[in-house]
Amino acid sequence: MSHTVLVCDDAIFMRTMISDILAQAGFEIVGEAESGVQAVEKYRQLKPDLVTMDIVMPDMGGIEAVREICKTDPDAKILMCSAMGQQALVVEAIQAGAKDFVVKPFQPSRVLEAVQRVLG
Amino acid sequence: MDVPKYAALFLAESREHLGSCNLLLLEWEREPGATSQVGGLFRSIHTIKGMAATMGYTGVAELAHRMENLLDALRQGRVAAEGGIFELLFRGVDALARQVEAAAAGRESSPDGELKSAIDAAAAGHGGPAPAPAKSTRTRRRAGDLPRIRPVQVTIRSDTPMRGARAALVLRRAERMGVISRVRPPATHFELDEFDGRVSFRIETRAADDEVAAAIRSAGDVALVRFEETSPEEADAAARARQVRVDLRRLDALMKQVGELVVAKNRLSALAASASDNTLVELSDRISRLVSGMQGEVIGARMSPVGEVFDRFPRLVRDLARDLGKRIRFHMEGEEIELDRSILDEIGEPLLHLIRNAADHGIESPEQRAAAGKPTEGRILLAASRERNSVALRVSDDGRGIDREAILVKARREGLADGTADILTDDLLLRVLARPGFSTAEAVSGVSGRGVGVDVAMTRVRALGGTLEVHSEVGLGTSFVIRVPLTLAIVRALLADVGGERYAVPLAYVAETVEFNPRAVTAVRNREALVVRDQVIPTVHLRDLVVSRARPLPSKRPTVILEVGERRTALVVDALVGQQDIVVEPFEAPLGLPPFVGGATILADGAPALILDAAALV
Repeated sequence: MSHTVLVCDDAIFMRTMISDILAQAGFEIVGEAESGVQAVEKYRQLKPDLVTMDIVMPDMGGIEAVREICKTDPDAKILMCSAMGQQALVVEAIQAGAKDFVVKPFQPSRVLEAVQRVLG
Repeated sequence: MDVPKYAALFLAESREHLGSCNLLLLEWEREPGATSQVGGLFRSIHTIKGMAATMGYTGVAELAHRMENLLDALRQGRVAAEGGIFELLFRGVDALARQVEAAAAGRESSPDGELKSAIDAAAAGHGGPAPAPAKSTRTRRRAGDLPRIRPVQVTIRSDTPMRGARAALVLRRAERMGVISRVRPPATHFELDEFDGRVSFRIETRAADDEVAAAIRSAGDVALVRFEETSPEEADAAARARQVRVDLRRLDALMKQVGELVVAKNRLSALAASASDNTLVELSDRISRLVSGMQGEVIGARMSPVGEVFDRFPRLVRDLARDLGKRIRFHMEGEEIELDRSILDEIGEPLLHLIRNAADHGIESPEQRAAAGKPTEGRILLAASRERNSVALRVSDDGRGIDREAILVKARREGLADGTADILTDDLLLRVLARPGFSTAEAVSGVSGRGVGVDVAMTRVRALGGTLEVHSEVGLGTSFVIRVPLTLAIVRALLADVGGERYAVPLAYVAETVEFNPRAVTAVRNREALVVRDQVIPTVHLRDLVVSRARPLPSKRPTVILEVGERRTALVVDALVGQQDIVVEPFEAPLGLPPFVGGATILADGAPALILDAAALV
């Protein structure tokens, strides 16, 4: 059975791109969220195997969402998607419980490597 | 091993860790559902255990180990953070503090058995049946089994984006295998541009090296994992360049030398000015600048944040509140404000008395507060702020305030106030409160109320060249403000002449100087006062205070406006001589010395001069 994924990003472009990369690799995209609040809600509904999380989003940022999700599920497999220059935020996200990160612009191979590490 | 040196380091670091344990425990107790404190507590106790074991202090190490087991059980949720657990943890931290002090003093004893068994019982789930083993298969210590500590070096691949974040991930993965300590560079430096992708730390674990290495590599982009010590030069070079620990006595000695240098410099400047030799004047100016710079550096090196003294109070207030059956929320502000170490060391006790007073007399019982329509939880605020050349330390509460009528009655009965006074101003109130043996407590409560509070605080603060103020409103609360100079040993002063004698007025309390204009004189409540820019300021003629040789009054008389907190006084003198750095000499006040004399100094020309205590004049 393929792994389920929740993709969280406020930009449709990024959501589509991540979904494509993961779907081609055989993952099942079960949901998308465009804000931190939605991410937390959908995580609770869908219980996905993996979450990709943008850092900067409206209505609760990605880091806060990580914190919320990890409160109820410390083992949540969350992969942060960050832009260059956001290292401090990535470190904060890791301390909040994120399990790995990828840096934009995305190379499919690096995204899949990170996903494997998170799930492995 | 240089035992005394390491013992001192052990003591200093252990105290810091125990201090932060107290703070973390307080936070945690307030919010038992929080999860962030237990990790910090665990790390601190763990560090103490490691240091103690290295020093051979087995009693400390043993107690720390037991505490660690309990914290681990709490961290993993095997034991709930509720009920008596916090009390037990507080007791454990206290016992550990006593053990640490005793061990460092060479009198190690074994921890008290009752406490040990209480901790063990709690760690095992209140002595009930053994808890089910944790569900994860992670490597975890079993009780009583000491895992090995190994040094680890990790290098992140150089072509990795965000090597710092990757390093943070490495630590997270490693933490799953055991307890991490001595992270170099510290995790806060990972985000810096200088971070070169190399991180070293120690891991305490029962897992084999290859298991640990695999866990670390699972963080991704790891080029190298080695289980060996980085050379001390490499590991600590950066840290050592930034900080050294210096015995305070060395700084005291240095300060004293600089103080004498300042006096010598002042004399040299005076000589050079009268010798009319340009080369000498230039050289003297140069030396002046160098000495000033040096003085600044030494004073800077002696400055420490007031937080170091504040840190013990949250715990104190918590314990007081428990003992008194009150609910008190304690806040601190301005912990980062810096003060001279020697003042800092002296300021703890006055603050302690004021805080005890606030908890005991200020804050009402929850029932009384509810009846008065106030929140049942009282508030005490300890705040530091920087003002001109002094630092204000404020202890305020939102309690019942001081009942001026009751105090006045009591003061009259004890002969402290005459029958004519029908109102107590804040000033008079303070004077009454600060009389030795004066107590406002209905009953001597054992906490304060033995009349030692305000007068001890007042005496200590005055000895530091500082001032104390009180503001109180019935029903709303009381606030005490201590003002102390930034540094003790060398102060900049204004020199004033009266009757041919010179007096030094610390510049920290000089607002401005004006000329005494007889036409601007008015009277307020039968006291002479001066009108300065629409402000009425009571005057004090220094001539009237000092026994001066009768000399004719100069036609023009300069006036120094003293300012202590909100209060001002116009001090009329014969002449102003100039400004000078004066070295405050240690001074045993002889009996009968007027209260406005705060100390003595040697002036640039070698003559002695009295230092005026601004607070006693306003």
